[in-house]
Amino acid sequence: MDGDTAYALSALAVSLRVALGATALVLLPGVALGRLLARSDFPGKSAVETFVALPLVLPPTAVGYLVLRLFARDGPLGQRVLGFDPDVILTWRGAVIASAAMALPLVARTARVAFEGVPARLELMGRSLGLSRAQVLRRITLPLARGGLAAAALLGFGRALGEFGATVVVAGSIPGRTQTLSIAIFEDIQLGRGGRALAMIGLSTLLAFATVWSVEALLRSRRPAA
Amino acid sequence: MSARLELRLRVRLAGFELELDLASDADALGLFGPSGAGKTSALEVVAGWRRPSEGIVRLSGRTLFDSSRGIDLAPERRGVGYVPQDLLLFEHWSVRENIAAGGARASGAARGGILERAARVLELDPLLERSVATLSGGERQRVALARALGSGPDLLLLDEPLGSLDLPLRRRILPYILRVREEFGTPMVLVSHDPLEVGVLCDVVCVLREGRQVARGRPAEVLAGAEGAPAVGAEVENVLRGRVGAVRGASATLELGAGVKLEVPAPGLEPGGRAVVALRADDVLVATRRPEGLSARNVLPARVRDIVQREGRVLMTAELGPGVDPISVELTPESTRELGLETARQVFLIVKTRSCRVMAALPPSATL
Repeated sequence: MDGDTAYALSALAVSLRVALGATALVLLPGVALGRLLARSDFPGKSAVETFVALPLVLPPTAVGYLVLRLFARDGPLGQRVLGFDPDVILTWRGAVIASAAMALPLVARTARVAFEGVPARLELMGRSLGLSRAQVLRRITLPLARGGLAAAALLGFGRALGEFGATVVVAGSIPGRTQTLSIAIFEDIQLGRGGRALAMIGLSTLLAFATVWSVEALLRSRRPAA
Repeated sequence: MSARLELRLRVRLAGFELELDLASDADALGLFGPSGAGKTSALEVVAGWRRPSEGIVRLSGRTLFDSSRGIDLAPERRGVGYVPQDLLLFEHWSVRENIAAGGARASGAARGGILERAARVLELDPLLERSVATLSGGERQRVALARALGSGPDLLLLDEPLGSLDLPLRRRILPYILRVREEFGTPMVLVSHDPLEVGVLCDVVCVLREGRQVARGRPAEVLAGAEGAPAVGAEVENVLRGRVGAVRGASATLELGAGVKLEVPAPGLEPGGRAVVALRADDVLVATRRPEGLSARNVLPARVRDIVQREGRVLMTAELGPGVDPISVELTPESTRELGLETARQVFLIVKTRSCRVMAALPPSATL
């Protein structure tokens, strides 16, 4: 294995690790948020909706900087407040948190659509039959929303995979540790290594193709709601 | 002693306000009226799917909703089985899983028993392992009914249980609902805009119009307009119940009570069993003297109870005897005049055997 291949594979490994971590981190809050927005009416709902959507529109570097400030030594989640070093800045954990923040809107929105596809009356029927809210969620809502929720997770994964701006601000570009494919490509372009950049772009394209194809397949296979 | 079902409520709906005030001990109460009269909303209020702006809902003395006391039981705590018009089957489950879904409320042995009974009465045993997505309309209807029964409800709500089915299928499903009434004894509230359905299934009917009750009573009385109820449907159907006497060839004798006998088509009927028969009001002829040399098999002596004229049609109601539901006959104003029909006059009702449609054949033990 020559040096270039090792370099590209190392970036790929970091990318996968960060994207998987971000998906795991964002899935539960994203799905919960989607459920809340799909079914509940509460004061300030539209404000929550807008806030959740912000990372879609804000410059990723801005989101990255906010995460940076959050975990800075003096920040609300920094060493001084927590009493220990969360070890986020310039680490792969930081990359995970930054790309999770960027993926949250996409996951929450897709989950919301998945939940909205399950008729509320079907849930009421479950309750009229004597099932508790939790039983209805577990036995009726989640199975019926399964395809859409899996798509939400994959879209979150895809978003985290391509993340650049927020990640580079929080985690920097340390080869083998925080240097993801997108960061490595950017650096190679800066350094005039067009060939290796193209190879990594090809790698990214394969990965993106597999992800998007899986999302489409999942959304297609979603069982028709009654 | 409180009534079985007590509904006193106001519900704001699009365009009007539903206002109900009724207490009923009926085994099967019908809510009858044109679409948009608020019938479905009334059921949803009882099920806890829709919150009234004010009022009280009580079931056998148990308060399900009381705005003045801040009581609003969650649907899962109401003990109300609901079969909505769109059924809302769980498409991701088999028939068995659907029926068992409601078993959560009934416990232990009672649970097993009730699921088996529901499946047996509705003849779902051969379908249990099928996915509900593969079922026909009539089968889906039966699964929804069994699922509601399987939850062991204190009250069954049926919204247009036959409405979505075509005519031949209606005739097949109707006996199932009668059988459920018979075997489970669960009181029902049934919504319908079909007088025949209400006549066959309900013992009391409440006529709703634009959110208000406009008439209430036995279906035979109310739906025929005998008590001055407004026109409620295009066709008036008589629903006759009786015991099957002799069965000879293509026809059978149905004993309606008080010695009144009706020849009806035999298929499906067995001597000693009970049967429900439908007869359209405009399929009955009237004579003022006993006719002779007639092909029609039924010539029933009767006495005119009242004559109501509405929308250019005349509806005459005639008594056959004590304890027998009166029969309504549709006439033209001209023939009414020419025959000199008036209240208390003796007449003869002429009915062809074939005009009597057997809606349900039930075992001898049936009390309907």
